Amino acid sequence: MKKSKAKVAFFDFTDCEGCQLQIVNLNTVLLDILEHIEIVNFREAMSEPRDDYDIAVIEGSISTEHDIKRITGIRKQAKVVIALGACATIGGVNAIKNRTPLNISLMRVYKDKADKFKTIAVKPIDQVIKVDYYIHGCPVHPNEVAEVFKCLLLGKKYDVPNYPVCVECKMNENVCLYQKEQNCMGPVTRAGCNSWCVNNGNICYGCRGLIDNPANDAQNDILANYGLDVNEIIDKFTLYTAVEKKYVKEIKE
Amino acid sequence: MERYAKISKKDFNRWLESLEDHGKLYGPKKKDGRHVFRPIKDVKELDLNYISTILPPKKYYFPQKERLLKFKIKPFKTAKAIRKFEEFVLFGVHTCDIAGIQCMDVVFRQEPLDANYINRKDRMTTVGIECLTPCDKYANCVSMGNHVPKGGYDIMLTDVGNKYIIHINSAKAESILRQRSYIKKCISADRYLLDAVRKKKEKIFKEEFIGRLTELYAVFSKLYDSEIWKDVGKRCVGCGNCTAVCPTCYCFDVLDEVSLNLNDGLRYRLWNSCQMDDFAKVAGGEDFRPGRSARQRHRYYRKFKYPIDKFSRYFCTGCGRCSRTCMAEINLTETVNSLIREHRNVSIGI
Repeated sequence: MKKSKAKVAFFDFTDCEGCQLQIVNLNTVLLDILEHIEIVNFREAMSEPRDDYDIAVIEGSISTEHDIKRITGIRKQAKVVIALGACATIGGVNAIKNRTPLNISLMRVYKDKADKFKTIAVKPIDQVIKVDYYIHGCPVHPNEVAEVFKCLLLGKKYDVPNYPVCVECKMNENVCLYQKEQNCMGPVTRAGCNSWCVNNGNICYGCRGLIDNPANDAQNDILANYGLDVNEIIDKFTLYTAVEKKYVKEIKE
Repeated sequence: MERYAKISKKDFNRWLESLEDHGKLYGPKKKDGRHVFRPIKDVKELDLNYISTILPPKKYYFPQKERLLKFKIKPFKTAKAIRKFEEFVLFGVHTCDIAGIQCMDVVFRQEPLDANYINRKDRMTTVGIECLTPCDKYANCVSMGNHVPKGGYDIMLTDVGNKYIIHINSAKAESILRQRSYIKKCISADRYLLDAVRKKKEKIFKEEFIGRLTELYAVFSKLYDSEIWKDVGKRCVGCGNCTAVCPTCYCFDVLDEVSLNLNDGLRYRLWNSCQMDDFAKVAGGEDFRPGRSARQRHRYYRKFKYPIDKFSRYFCTGCGRCSRTCMAEINLTETVNSLIREHRNVSIGI
């Protein structure tokens, strides 16, 4: 008898849906994954969704009370939850709104209609429900998506790297951006992307969030040494991780 | 064959091209204003006038990510991951990096022998190039005694104007020199040129440390608890660049990867570093070396104290890469000199 395939559903909350698009971009690797799973709900890639899922892949951050109800419901049904992309795992870009008091953020965006939108401070999904697997990144890296699915199917834990992007960047023998008089969040950003951006001529923006014990003070000094003022440094640290208010506070102090 | 030979610069590329019979050619090439060791497809790409490459040549005998073993889960089976290792010529290696190769040799040839390392290393022909001028403010090769050739290579080239003097240091070297009419015997005038180059070097290469290596050993034996380590740790951002670029750092982690059929897998090793947060963590979450001060200190002790006790060899080659690559500007020469100064002050009771 053929083993029944695990049923997977994709859900999105506050985000751009770009990480789901990365799943489609897996190309033939997606076909290999589909040997082991059945997708029952995937708005970007299929019609006629079903609700009989065991595994929920959740993209996006939580930003309304309604989101909380909806995601709690998903968690009740799903045996396994995978957080997909920076918004889901660390709050992501949309958490920048947390840097200012909520009413001011609302006024900025919705002007006189601010009171019509009931939003809350942005949270990564693990502040609301338990998460079993994390796939960081903005967007997620195809290789890591495949790796996490493999771990899931083998029933083992996925170890998210706890070392900085510089480690991968050096292994790729890129010229350090600091040596090109540019700045980069690589020294404190969680690796796992294989220094994707730097390999392609960009800087690291820190989209995977900070490592467990980032040397924020040293990174702060380095950025200051490269000519960034306090506000620019705060921007660097909070482009993706504004949920962690402590970074803003630490630098200001 | 004699121990020394020579080649005119006009014949140099001809010789390089003839090396393809001896395996793949790797050498320094320009990248974004820096240099890196890369496969040399066209000999014109080779650039022997360079400051240390971003990564040392260790990537060729101790690759960043190296396959160790193939396996199948059902039915369980293991097999060699690499059937055949390739012959290769590592061309244009500085004397500091050759010292790095010698250090790695000491480590990986201990029992139990490291098969992957030895398989690669035994298929490598090393052609060195002697530096004639100090490279930049970061190197400390003179203090480490590595600015002049001290063996560990097959061939050493020294530029003496319109030709290179070739030091032949192995049987392998002979095989890549013989039957080439343009490789000529050295006459006494050539030896005189070589001596002159070395004499000139003595004048322009200055010791970077304020003390000798013998003093250094005493310094490191005493200053484990120095405040200097706190200062270094405070500035350190923990990026791990210093260990990745070090020609003598050889720590690695071993990991298994399974393919998407969920049955075939590969065991490989991946460079790892004492600067990483999880490096000294054990089951239960206990960390034997928490904090960046202790980790930086450990790095220095792994160059200037522990290997001397274990292998009677300094594991700093003086290449300067760790200082050159550090965005926090932690400079090895400055750290060592501060330690020497502190030690002298303590000794005379200041």
